[in-house]
Amino acid sequence: MRDLYQRLALSPDANDHQINSAVARCPNSALRQDATSVLAVAPHRETYDTLHHTLSDIGRLRARLGLTHGAHWQGDVANDFSLPPDNAISRHDELVDRVSHAVSLYNRWRRLRGPWLLISVFTVGAGIGLALGFALSLGLGMG
Amino acid sequence: MSIARFSPFELLLLKSRSQVDTATLLLLGWVLVHRQHVSEGQRRRRLAQVTAQFRHGHELGPVMSIAHSQDLHAIQLAAEVVRKECSKERSLSVMHQAITVATDDGDISLANHYILRFLADLLNVAPATLGTLFQELTGQPLRPPEDPSRDAYWQTHDPAYYAQKAQEEADAAQREKASQEQAEQQQRAKADKQQEKKQKQQEKKQQKEDARRAKARAEQSSAEQARAERARAEQARQEQARQEQARQEEARRRHYQRSSPPPPDRTTRALAVLGLTPGASKTDVRRAYRRMAQLHHPDRFYSESEHQVALASARFQRIKNAYDYLMQTY
Repeated sequence: MRDLYQRLALSPDANDHQINSAVARCPNSALRQDATSVLAVAPHRETYDTLHHTLSDIGRLRARLGLTHGAHWQGDVANDFSLPPDNAISRHDELVDRVSHAVSLYNRWRRLRGPWLLISVFTVGAGIGLALGFALSLGLGMG
Repeated sequence: MSIARFSPFELLLLKSRSQVDTATLLLLGWVLVHRQHVSEGQRRRRLAQVTAQFRHGHELGPVMSIAHSQDLHAIQLAAEVVRKECSKERSLSVMHQAITVATDDGDISLANHYILRFLADLLNVAPATLGTLFQELTGQPLRPPEDPSRDAYWQTHDPAYYAQKAQEEADAAQREKASQEQAEQQQRAKADKQQEKKQKQQEKKQQKEDARRAKARAEQSSAEQARAERARAEQARQEQARQEQARQEEARRRHYQRSSPPPPDRTTRALAVLGLTPGASKTDVRRAYRRMAQLHHPDRFYSESEHQVALASARFQRIKNAYDYLMQTY
């Protein structure tokens, strides 16, 4: 399976006119014949496009998973559908990052109740101390 | 980092009792979606049947809907989970399940050919192992996938189209032949008429000429000689013109060949083989080539099977070709 669009320098959603002119410009007669019998016939092109889409997906997956030189990825398919590795990070790592971020948010929310408890304890303590001191000073003044 | 919402598959994975099982389920669903001539109910039943001993603990419905949407992120995540968590035995059993799901009688869709091979690469299953597994499960050898980007594929799979085309061509040829014949007939009739006229003229001329001949005979020989000479000159000039034209055409062709640039994607493809993006410098290319050559050198696979060595040398050749090409163009 070859990528005829790439070999004819077309985009996969090219219209019939663009395809015809690209085929007419193509210097390779075998490729020209293949392109006319695959891309110029609507039902053939539909089948071809479905498989082309799947193979592009697989090519992208292989590039992201580092499988562009696998034992099962050889010949025309590997030549035409291998993509350069993109900088997308591993999806699993991203998921782990996101889960840990969510967990830390949750934990911070839980922890917020701790300081409030401390502050309230401290204020209550201070209030009692003040009241006691006031009462003591009053008692001293009286005595 | 801003927190995006979790996708349906991520939620499913987080809630699942066994992440590997959920991920395998999605990959099997992906295979099933690419199976042709099967109804949705049959797909669900097949998936439930194959994954009866899985411990994921959630419904199959959401997994199938994710598989139907062909969500590349979800599939990538599932592939990563499976690759990370699968032991050797487990990966063989996953491969087994994938083959079962993809086919019942050895009849396998083109997309699934490539998906199964992708899974085999993902799970580190060698081509020979995949071949024997497939043969055991379906009773048929795993053939290389057919190529719908070629004329020959459609000649076997859509003979109706070719029959129609041949018929049309034959019709066109017949029509052309008929019109040609008609034209010929007309021409012949015209020629006949002309000949008659000419004969008449000639007769008249002859009568006149008889009178003149005596006088003209002396001049005739010299005139004829002159005419022959003129004809020869004309012929020579024509010959020269034809040669000139041929030369010009040749020059034009050569010029076209020289001026037509190499396909622009070839450099990109060669760079992709070396794992580089377009715009890499010469040093990058050289460094990438060294690394790749070390990784894929056939001598590294010397201790493994002959098949591995052959595959490695094919890969190495591909890398070397790409490097040679890039060194020429850079």
